[in-house]
Amino acid sequence: MRPWTRILAIAVVGLVAVACTTGGTGATSGPTTAGTSVPTVAPSGSAPTTSEACNPPRQDGVTLTFVSFGGAYQEAQRKAWLEPYTALTGVQFQNDENSSNATIKAQVEAGQVTWDVVDVGNDFGLEANAALLEELDYSIIPLDEVNQDLGPSKWRVPDITYGVVLAYNTEKTGGQVPAGWADFFDTTKFPGKRGMWDYSEGGIFEIALLADGVAPGDLYRGGQGLDLARATAKLDTIKDDFVFWGSGAQSQELIGSGEVAMTLIWNGRGWSAKHTDGKPVEMQWNQQIVTADYLVVPKGSPNKDAAMTFIAYTICAENNAKPSEYIPYGPTNINAQPAADKLADLSVSNADENSAYFDDEWLVNNFDAVDAAYKEWKTR
Amino acid sequence: MVADSAGRGIERPGRRRGPALDRWAVLVVPLVVFLVVFFLAPLVTMSLRSVTDPPDAGVSNYTKFFDQAANLRVLANTFWIALLSTLTCLVIGYPFAYLMTIVPGRVAGLLLIAVLLPFWSSLLVRTFAWQVILRDTGIINSFLLGVGIVEEPVALIRTTLGVIVGMSHILLPFMVLPIYAVMRRIDPEFGRAAANLGASPWRAFVRVFVPLTLPGVFAGALLVFVLALGFYITPALLGGLRDQMISQLIVQEVQQALDWGSASAMAVLLMAITFAILFVASRVVHLRDVFGSALEE
Repeated sequence: MRPWTRILAIAVVGLVAVACTTGGTGATSGPTTAGTSVPTVAPSGSAPTTSEACNPPRQDGVTLTFVSFGGAYQEAQRKAWLEPYTALTGVQFQNDENSSNATIKAQVEAGQVTWDVVDVGNDFGLEANAALLEELDYSIIPLDEVNQDLGPSKWRVPDITYGVVLAYNTEKTGGQVPAGWADFFDTTKFPGKRGMWDYSEGGIFEIALLADGVAPGDLYRGGQGLDLARATAKLDTIKDDFVFWGSGAQSQELIGSGEVAMTLIWNGRGWSAKHTDGKPVEMQWNQQIVTADYLVVPKGSPNKDAAMTFIAYTICAENNAKPSEYIPYGPTNINAQPAADKLADLSVSNADENSAYFDDEWLVNNFDAVDAAYKEWKTR
Repeated sequence: MVADSAGRGIERPGRRRGPALDRWAVLVVPLVVFLVVFFLAPLVTMSLRSVTDPPDAGVSNYTKFFDQAANLRVLANTFWIALLSTLTCLVIGYPFAYLMTIVPGRVAGLLLIAVLLPFWSSLLVRTFAWQVILRDTGIINSFLLGVGIVEEPVALIRTTLGVIVGMSHILLPFMVLPIYAVMRRIDPEFGRAAANLGASPWRAFVRVFVPLTLPGVFAGALLVFVLALGFYITPALLGGLRDQMISQLIVQEVQQALDWGSASAMAVLLMAITFAILFVASRVVHLRDVFGSALEE
C-alpha cells in the first residue's frame, strides 16, 4: 500500500494544484463606451459607396476567425452577418466566444495572432491601444455613414448599440415600477438585493451619480471626470445589498431567478431574460446609458485585408441592422433600418434627454484612478 | 576496506553510495524537460516581467501594491480565509481519518472513495453546485422559507461562511489523506501498552495517539493552507465584497487593467510568501510527510 499511497498522493496534489489554478470565469471586459470627445476620423481617400461595402468579392479558401462575447449575442451576429457572408463570398468562419482585451494583448505580444475580427467593449480601441491594433481601412468601410457620437477611431468602428439599463424582477418589486436609478438605491421602497457588474468602468459610478441627482451631461464634469468621492458615498448607502456579476449570462440568471430585485444589465440580456427564459423581468429605459460595441483587428492578423472587407460588410447600411432581427441591439449606420418588431426594444429608440453616455476617452485614460477608487470602496 | 572480526567487509563511515543512476533513470529526463519548459521557464519569465513591465519599472510594481490599502486588506484576508479553511478541514478531517482506521477494511475503502470521488469532479462544477445550494433562492433557503423557519433568506452565500464551506469541501481530501497515511502506521500496541500502564481510553488517545499523528496533521495543514492561498474560483463565486482574495486582484490586473507588470508582481509576491511559509514549516515537519511517506518504519 505504501508506494501506492505515495504515488496517489503525488498525483492528487499535482492534479488539484493544476485544477485549483485553472478557473476561467474571466470577467468580460466592459462593453464599449460611446466617446463624445473622441476626435472624428476622416476617411482616407474617396468615400466608399455602400454598395461597394455591401457587395464584397468572392474569396474562396479564406478562413476568418471571428470573436465576440458568445451566447445570444454572438448567435445573432452569426445569423445576421457571418452566414450570409459565407454564402456570398465563400469565406469560412471560425468562431471564438471569449472576446477579451487581454487575449488580444497576449496574442500581439507573442507574435501569434490568430484572431482576425474581434468584437470588443467600449473600453478598447482608442489611442491607448494603438500598438495592439491594425488601423481600419476606411477606404472600404463606410465611415461617413457611421453615427459619430459613438466614437469611432482609427482602430475601432462601432457595430451595434445597446443600453446599460435598470432591470427589475416584477415579482420581487410587487407591482411597483422603479422610476430610475434613485429607486435602485432605495431599499426601503424596493427591498431586496441589487445586481451590479463587477467592473470599475461598467457604469457603477455613473449610475450612482445619476441616482444622486447629477444631470447626464454633467457626469464627467466637462472633461474633469467622474466625481468619485460623491459616487462612492452614494454607493455606501446600499453597500451590503450588492450582488456582483461577471458575465452577461450571470446577470440574466440573477434577475430571472429573483436572487436580486433589481440589477444593472445590458438591454439584450434583460430582453432575453423576459422573452427567451420567460422570467418576470422588465426594464426601465429612463436614465439608461447608451453605448456601443466595436469591431477591431489585432495587429499582425494573418487575414488583415479579408478582415477589413468583412467589417465593411457588417457596417454597410443594408446589413448593419440585421442582428436586430434576433436580439434588440441597434445599428450604428445612420441609414440602416432596424427590424420593425424589435424597434421598441432598442436602446436608441428609447434614448431621450435623460439618457447618459460614457466618456470613453476619459475612462480609458484614467483607468488606474477609477479602478483604485473601486477597489478601495469594495474592500473598505 | 576495513574488515571486522568475522572477516566481512565494512564500508568506511562517510562513504555513501549515491542514487543508482542506471539506464532507467533516463526515463525521468522527459519529465524534467517538460517541467523546465512549461513550469520553470514561465515562472522565470513572469518574475522578470514584474520588474521590466513597464520597461523602467524596477520595483515600482511592488511599491505600488503596498501603497494601496485595499491591496493590503485583500492580502490579509487571503491569509485569514486560508487559515479558517485549514482549521475547518482539520476539525472535519481528523475524526474522518480516525474513523477510517478503526472500521473494517472494506468500509475503510468505501470511506476513502467517498473522500476521493468529489475530488475527481470539476472544481468549477462543485463551486457552482454550492452556489445553487447556498444562495438566497437556493435549496437551503427555499426549504427554510417554505417550512416557515425564517422570514427572510439566510445569508449563506456572499459571506465568509459560504467561502469556507466551499473551500473546505474541495480541500478536505488533502487533509484526510496525509493524516490517514500517518494514522495507519501507528502500532495498536501503543494503545494497549498505555492501557496496561493504567491510562483511560481517553488519556491514551490524547497522550499517546494524537502526538504520534502530529506529523500527518502538520503535513495536511500545510498542504491545505498553501493551496487555499491561491484559490480563485471559489471565493469569487461564493464570497462577498470583503472576502476577496489576492488571486482575484491578479485576474483584474490581467484582464481589466491589462497591466501585466502589476499582475506579475502580485503573483511573485504570493509565491514568495508561500515559499517563506514552506521554509518555516520545513523546520517543524518533514516535507516528505506531505507526500505520504509518513513515519519511517
